[in-house]
Amino acid sequence: MNNVKVDALVIGGGIAGMQAALDLGDQGYQVALVEKEPSIGGKMITLSKVFPTLDCCSCITTPKMSAVAHHPNIQMFTYCEVESVDQQENGFDVSVLQKPRYVNADTCTGCRLCEYACPITVPSSFDRGLGSYRTARVPFSTAVPQIAVLDIENCILCGKCEKVCPVGAIDFTQQPETFSIDTTSIVLATGFELTDLDAKNEYGAGELPNVIDPLMMERFLAPTGPYGRVLRPGDGMEPMTIAYVQCAGSRDETLGIEYCSRTCCMYAIKQSMLISGALPLAEVTIYYMDIRTFGKGYEQFYQNAKAMGVEFVRGKVAKITEDENHNPVVRVERTEEGDVVERTFDLVVLSLGMVAGDPLSKFGLTPAEDGYIKIPSVNASPCETRRPGIFVTGTAGGPMDIVDSIVTASAAASAASAYIRSKTQVGIEEREVAHV
Amino acid sequence: MSEKPKIAVYTCYCGGNISHTVKCEQVAKLLAEQPDVVVSRTNMSLCSDAGQSQIEEDIRELGVNRVVIGACAPSLHEQTFRKTVIRAGLNPYLYHHIGLREQDSWVHTCDADGATCKAVRLMAAGVAKARLLDPLEPIQLEAEKRALVIGGGVAGLRAALDIADQGLKVVLVEKTPFLGGRMAQLDTVFPTGEEAHILLADLIDKVVNHDKITIFTQTEVTKVSGYVGNYGIQLTQHSRGVSAENAKALQDACQQMVADEFNYGLTERKVIYQPYHGCYPPLPAVDWEHYNGEPININGKSEILKDEIQQFELSAGAVVVATGFDPYVPREGEYGYSELPQVVTLPQLIRHMALNPGAKSLEWQGHKVRDIVLIHCVGSREIEGIDEPQEDGQVNNYCSRVCCTATLHMIEELRENFPKLNIYDLYQDIRTYGRGHEDYYINALDNGTRFVRYHGEEKPKVFAAPKGDTHPVLVHVTDALTYNQELEIPVDLVVLATGMQPRQIDDLVKMLKVSRGNDRFLLEVHPKLRPVETAVNGVILAGTAQGPMNIQESISAASAAAAKVISLLGSGQVELQPFVAAVDPEKCNGTGACVEACEYEDAIALETFVEDGKEVTRAVVTPANCTGCGACVAVCPNRAIDVQGWTLAQYEAMVDAIAMDIVDLVEAG
Amino acid sequence: MTKLNISNEPKILILATLAGGYAGADSTGQSHVDYPANTYILPVMCPVMFPPEFFIRAYERGIDGIILMYSGTDSPYKVEAEGTAKLINATYALMKERGIDTRRLRLAAICTVCVKPFLKEVNNMHNLLKGIGFVKSELKSHPAPLQGAKS
Ligand SMILES: Cc1cc2nc3c(=O)[nH]c(=O)nc-3n(C[C@H](O)[C@H](O)[C@H](O)COP(=O)(O)OP(=O)(O)OC[C@H]3O[C@@H](n4cnc5c(N)ncnc54)[C@H](O)[C@@H]3O)c2cc1C
Ligand SMILES: Cc1cc2nc3c(=O)[nH]c(=O)nc-3n(C[C@H](O)[C@H](O)[C@H](O)COP(=O)(O)OP(=O)(O)OC[C@H]3O[C@@H](n4cnc5c(N)ncnc54)[C@H](O)[C@@H]3O)c2cc1C
Ligand code: SF4
Repeated sequence: MNNVKVDALVIGGGIAGMQAALDLGDQGYQVALVEKEPSIGGKMITLSKVFPTLDCCSCITTPKMSAVAHHPNIQMFTYCEVESVDQQENGFDVSVLQKPRYVNADTCTGCRLCEYACPITVPSSFDRGLGSYRTARVPFSTAVPQIAVLDIENCILCGKCEKVCPVGAIDFTQQPETFSIDTTSIVLATGFELTDLDAKNEYGAGELPNVIDPLMMERFLAPTGPYGRVLRPGDGMEPMTIAYVQCAGSRDETLGIEYCSRTCCMYAIKQSMLISGALPLAEVTIYYMDIRTFGKGYEQFYQNAKAMGVEFVRGKVAKITEDENHNPVVRVERTEEGDVVERTFDLVVLSLGMVAGDPLSKFGLTPAEDGYIKIPSVNASPCETRRPGIFVTGTAGGPMDIVDSIVTASAAASAASAYIRSKTQVGIEEREVAHV
Repeated sequence: MSEKPKIAVYTCYCGGNISHTVKCEQVAKLLAEQPDVVVSRTNMSLCSDAGQSQIEEDIRELGVNRVVIGACAPSLHEQTFRKTVIRAGLNPYLYHHIGLREQDSWVHTCDADGATCKAVRLMAAGVAKARLLDPLEPIQLEAEKRALVIGGGVAGLRAALDIADQGLKVVLVEKTPFLGGRMAQLDTVFPTGEEAHILLADLIDKVVNHDKITIFTQTEVTKVSGYVGNYGIQLTQHSRGVSAENAKALQDACQQMVADEFNYGLTERKVIYQPYHGCYPPLPAVDWEHYNGEPININGKSEILKDEIQQFELSAGAVVVATGFDPYVPREGEYGYSELPQVVTLPQLIRHMALNPGAKSLEWQGHKVRDIVLIHCVGSREIEGIDEPQEDGQVNNYCSRVCCTATLHMIEELRENFPKLNIYDLYQDIRTYGRGHEDYYINALDNGTRFVRYHGEEKPKVFAAPKGDTHPVLVHVTDALTYNQELEIPVDLVVLATGMQPRQIDDLVKMLKVSRGNDRFLLEVHPKLRPVETAVNGVILAGTAQGPMNIQESISAASAAAAKVISLLGSGQVELQPFVAAVDPEKCNGTGACVEACEYEDAIALETFVEDGKEVTRAVVTPANCTGCGACVAVCPNRAIDVQGWTLAQYEAMVDAIAMDIVDLVEAG
Repeated sequence: MTKLNISNEPKILILATLAGGYAGADSTGQSHVDYPANTYILPVMCPVMFPPEFFIRAYERGIDGIILMYSGTDSPYKVEAEGTAKLINATYALMKERGIDTRRLRLAAICTVCVKPFLKEVNNMHNLLKGIGFVKSELKSHPAPLQGAKS
């Protein structure tokens, strides 16, 4: 593979990385975008509708994905991992590993015949294990690029896909390839991961079938989701009573995560409202310590949810167990009433927190105490990392929602472009007279 | 029109948003029967790459030359699909967009059939319009590579710097005589504990020494004309009133004192003043608003200071609005404010602490403070029907975002400086959401701060204590943390964590024609698609003028604004939409009614030509000056003038389609 | 294909400025409040482009009520407030001549966030039309066709 030379390398193709790439591209800089998954889109493409506007998430994300793919100044490298970042005189030499798709990316048309022919079904990670997909597949319906990928670990090498592919794109001999990207600056947009569903023994240690994580609920609610409706993973029953346990992975010393994950209040409220739409008779209860609806229009959103009948109960959930029908039982200390009660629900969603997505060591960076990238001067340069020329955006720089991710992405693009210019600038034009 | 229209119609499900109410398949079927429609499809999400590819394919393979899309609001994705159409080689103005979500499926949820009929008629109207569409070319204009930044707070400074760093010129306008905005009034700042003025000095230094940035202080924008790429701006500047030579002497001699708004009225200052040591510019300025006009004696001479107002005209390609916020000022009597001397706002307490560094104990008006209560959400999170509306009838129902952390940061300062102080924190929800913010809360919980949770419906009450009480003030509150126990807290000082309000910028809002949201802050186009742009092309938002933010967020927003300005002006060219008046030379016979009706300078004029040996007089439009209002269209007796893309004939065709009975419509196919 | 239950209700045409009423209608949509479906909103840049005959023509074609939702004095066009007022007056005069109830035409200033005023206007017109019925009945008594209305 040829070496690539660009002004900016964006690592991570979630909403933050895409926006940063688009802003840099729009300013006329050459950009490379590297994404480790077979499609760009990040977590956002898996969401249902998004607060605070309740826009359908695809409607915001897919056009951005499409814009990235078609932008004349952006080169997109999917299914690639950054291996190392070496400092050079005027930038960085980045070594990137192209993972084998076992499909020729240049000839594949995304017709999905391989997918229809493939006999092996595996749980879909896109649907957080709720649905399933084939071993040979286009990652999901709105994936960009629309190129199939063959999950070799589960493949039985039956060769059916090879037979049906009309353009002969299946290639079992593909090997990982390394190439290098020569860039002046880097924008890290490697995103977040949810805290573990099984982290807390008090909450069933991940063993209770009807205690789920919030991204699963997003998939239940999404029109592109595996079932197209909300149900209990334990038995497929429609839940009539649903509880949200806030701060289930945040503000918790025992987990070593003392910070607030900043989005969980809002996504829980959003999901409750969407559930009221999908299951009009369902009752939703949110157990919380503080409701943190701090963003523009968010307080109204919270008040609307209250008006719609979502029940907010202030209290710490001490324990979750289940009854003989696998109905989760929530034990909670209610602070307003000053009592401890147990209540049985059909389904419980743990409002898990956010942790940094990717180890930082290969970028030559160290995390701060909270595990996220250290930003030495947040009140002066909120996107600058310790290494000059490397900037951070979106949830790679700490928990935040989409609105904030997009703003920081543009900010990181601005910071990166100033840096690129300072490295490549020639003369300085004359000064205007100041009228102070 | 030469070629026969071949129209493609797409009805989008919008991932269920539309199809849950509107029977999209039925709409598509009925539309397929309309004349000139060659293909009518539905799609789960047309804006996805696959959906867009379908459109491209239809244009290429089926020879489609008009595209009609029914989907979400045109403000969201009209541009997206224009680009799609371009990629397939079709003129982007041969496509028409209909909002079936915001104006149909979302507002007729209880009437699926009604919503479906409506969709059919609207789409049929779209087809009728599409038949009459002409290809158009955007208007290319030279863009002035200069941005105007209004407001010299941290957001304005940062936006100016980032734009200038990309090689564009910047004019930074600040209304007061000094740069720095509200941040200059802070002491140490969360989440780092850095000193605000050091951070600011660093930024101001870069801005002031930047060869691309011109700064105007004591200046306001007084006129705005033009459009993106070429705004004409008039600035009005007050004079400083003193010079480097006489400043010190004048200031020393000046006797007139006024309340110092930098310290929120806690202290007084002279009318010739510098707000704080190290401010920029360092030269003092005269406070013209309060100066009483009396002579000041220096060296035996008496001098009357004169404000010499100057005006400047300049052109700018884009405008960044960074006019910031005002802290909420409680009403008289709200929590005892301005009735009891022991009730202050958080910004006042911050100034008080900054003015008394190293104090051994917290003193207020000569009395030692032993017990202090801080109340959150004053002027924020108000509830309609419970809280008294503001003067303009609005209820501040939003959260001000910074006050929780600012309050807890203050508590940390208080605790460090005055370990014996009893601190009560009265809150609804603690919203320490940012990185490093929660630590303040954890520390406060550990260091003996007593937290009391109140309900918005039942606010704490502040009273003067009866004479002879141990403390001057009593606070009554129902504590939701202790099973709604009623508490009476005797205190020496009450601190109101006041929220943020946008500054009074009515004139500017009018001049720039930007909109405000329900919370009165300036409104962005869309929080996710275009979070820092306004609906007015080339007018961009930075910082707290848009909504509550802390410093870090203000800086990010400012940098984002800069990125938009650079994308817009970097190439030195902007494109305007071609929706301007156009004259049909066949029909125009030079009545001049249009020229009379037009309110814009140089947009339309009569010109005389010689054609085939005969003199003819006709109207001629200058597109760059035409706004496309169409005043000329209504008055032309010959129907010889139209706004391109919005012609009268198109409207008539749309009205006919809407008026048509659906039964007719089926039969028409 | 399932049959649509086609209601025969008076039709309301709403001409809404992009900067005002149209954005207001979008805001109403974002608030998810229901209003009658016999409302057809067409975006306009600025309403001063319409000659009074345009409205008469619309009534003749079977539009029963028209609401002009403009931005008033907050408009990006300096002619909008004054020009629209003039236009409305001229149209009222023509409507009277033709025997059309002038309440079938309304002018309303609607801005980008005017959800409540938007709903009020729509519901008022809807209720009015329920009372006074289709425009056709009024037109019948005035059979003289309008001059020059056809393009
Ligand atoms: C349940 C839930 C619901 C939510 N709902 C909403 C909502 O309604 N509204 C809202 O505003 N926010 C919502 N959020 C928050 C929102 O998901 C995030 O703000 C947003 O997705 C962050 O985007 P990002 O680009 O920073 O990160 P991500 O989406 O995580 O993207 C990071 C990308 O980088 C890639 N990557 C990671 N490491 C590497 C590497 N080393 N090399 C190459 N690529 C790499 C990843 O594969 C991924 O594609 C929700 C969050 C959750 C958990
Ligand atoms: C009590 C309190 C404590 C805070 N503490 C912290 C903290 O510790 N850490 C933190 O991160 N944030 C803190 N903040 C938030 C911080 O103050 C703001 O984020 C920041 O000051 C916003 O900057 P800005 O530039 O948007 O607005 P401003 O600072 O308000 O600047 C706006 C500027 O525009 C000028 N202007 C206004 N109108 C016009 C006009 N028409 N023409 C020309 N110029 C005009 C003004 O004079 C001003 O200079 C605190 C806020 C409050 C209320
Ligand atoms: S930040 Fe805290 S104090 Fe301020 S309005 Fe929001 S909840 Fe109330």
